[in-house]
Amino acid sequence: MRSFKFQAFLMTILGLSLIASACGTSGGGSPSTTTKETLTFAGFNFSESTILMDIYGKALEAKGYKINYKANLGSREVVEPALASGQIDFYPGYAATDLEFINKGKGEATGDPQATTAKLNTYLSAIGAKALDPSPALDANAFAVTKATAAKYSLTKLSDLAPVAGRMVLGGPPECATRPYCQPGLKSVYGANFKDFKALDADGPLTRAALSGGQVDIALVFSSDGDLDSRGYVVLDDDKHLEAADNVVPIIRTKVLNSEITSIFNKISAALNTTDLRAMNKSAGIDHVDPDTLAATWLKQHGFTS
Amino acid sequence: MVFLGQVIAWFLNPAHWTGSHGVPTRVLEHLQISGIAVGAALVIALPIGIALGHWGRGGLLAINVSNVGRALPSFGILVIAFEVFGLNNTPVLVALTLLAIPPVVTNSFIAVRDVDPELRDAARGMGMRERRVLFEVELPLALPLIMAGIRTAAVQVVATATLAALIAGGGLGRYILDGLGQRDDVQVFAGAALVALLAMAVELAFSGLEQIVTPRGIKGNPVGRMAVGVVEPRLF
Repeated sequence: MRSFKFQAFLMTILGLSLIASACGTSGGGSPSTTTKETLTFAGFNFSESTILMDIYGKALEAKGYKINYKANLGSREVVEPALASGQIDFYPGYAATDLEFINKGKGEATGDPQATTAKLNTYLSAIGAKALDPSPALDANAFAVTKATAAKYSLTKLSDLAPVAGRMVLGGPPECATRPYCQPGLKSVYGANFKDFKALDADGPLTRAALSGGQVDIALVFSSDGDLDSRGYVVLDDDKHLEAADNVVPIIRTKVLNSEITSIFNKISAALNTTDLRAMNKSAGIDHVDPDTLAATWLKQHGFTS
Repeated sequence: MVFLGQVIAWFLNPAHWTGSHGVPTRVLEHLQISGIAVGAALVIALPIGIALGHWGRGGLLAINVSNVGRALPSFGILVIAFEVFGLNNTPVLVALTLLAIPPVVTNSFIAVRDVDPELRDAARGMGMRERRVLFEVELPLALPLIMAGIRTAAVQVVATATLAALIAGGGLGRYILDGLGQRDDVQVFAGAALVALLAMAVELAFSGLEQIVTPRGIKGNPVGRMAVGVVEPRLF
């Protein structure tokens, strides 16, 4: 029985060391030669947000900051309260949707990114945060159908939905059922009352599988997606302008903000555009390139890192 | 206390009891997925466990495979199965069936193997053929422990069927996942409470069933009533 106990002891050690090695992180990051702050960056639960979080984060890491990343933290319902309570310091927002979220759907967002961001800041100051300059890069909600569905119901724009929506199932992330730029907006602006709503994910693999497989007839996608054409989807035109200025805007807590971060972030935002977003989304979605890699490449190409 | 009041209000709201997102529909979906998974597990696991227990061989292998099976992460299996089978109920059924198999195999093997060897001897001595020994002597005596294994499997499956919601499936997990996405903590709590209640109801139902199918002769038998949960076999 002694040999059994020894074997059991060896097995335990082996098991524990396997667990420990799996938990080990891969060092990396810049050497801490300066005493700059450690910041916590978060992103929403879709790949474009991870890419943006990495872009802003890695630019600061190149300047000696240490960044803790919390990718795919969740929907805005999770991320914004986390910022307000100080659990995270930064997330890459979208001007119009963030405004309509924090003002509880008052309808103050417009197609003007500057005005929308300014209005957003009046609310953000109350929670100790600030939105920096908005980027020309735009990613708004969009609604896509398959080519077959578009042909079946003669759909080219969202106004075409009203008479046929009662026969269609809408798909999107769970929060689409309660967000002004999603299901409620389609109802109030376009008069589209859908037969049913199916909760999927935020423009991810479930949405694509459900749309292509026919489990939903129309689904929420993002206007900067790179793979919509190759999948044979038709994005319906937002002719009544339900979606507003959803320009990328860095949102950061004022406590950690300084002039260096402001300057770097505004330069990055100015250099980003929708074409870049689409290309990176395509790489991430179709070629499965790591968001980390895409962010690093973008920063290098635009001279933020060497 | 305010939160509890909100949860009660959620349950009292008639809108939550009708339609394709209502509680009855979700409970039915949940039971449907769970039922098929447990059924499939029984079809696979019962013959294996009982046969091995009857022959008294291969038990060590069966139990070890079973134990490894218990370490498999249902979430991981779900995602892999989604890649293979696509967006339908098959991935969830695969994950839940694999979850239900170990307790049934282990319990039915132990139950049949541990029937008093003297009884088996007596039956054979009376001239019974193997099949009669199995069905008329071993199985009735093993039934309480086998039922305990099925009960364990059923409760685990009902509690885990919330996973279906992760790949756009139905069932009570929908309230939990949608509540998280919409930051509706009341909905999350209501969903979790419903799952817990359903699991307890299944536990009670199967306990009742156990009592009904246990032959009267061994009802007073301590072995018959020790059939709680899964028996951990001694390997050494």
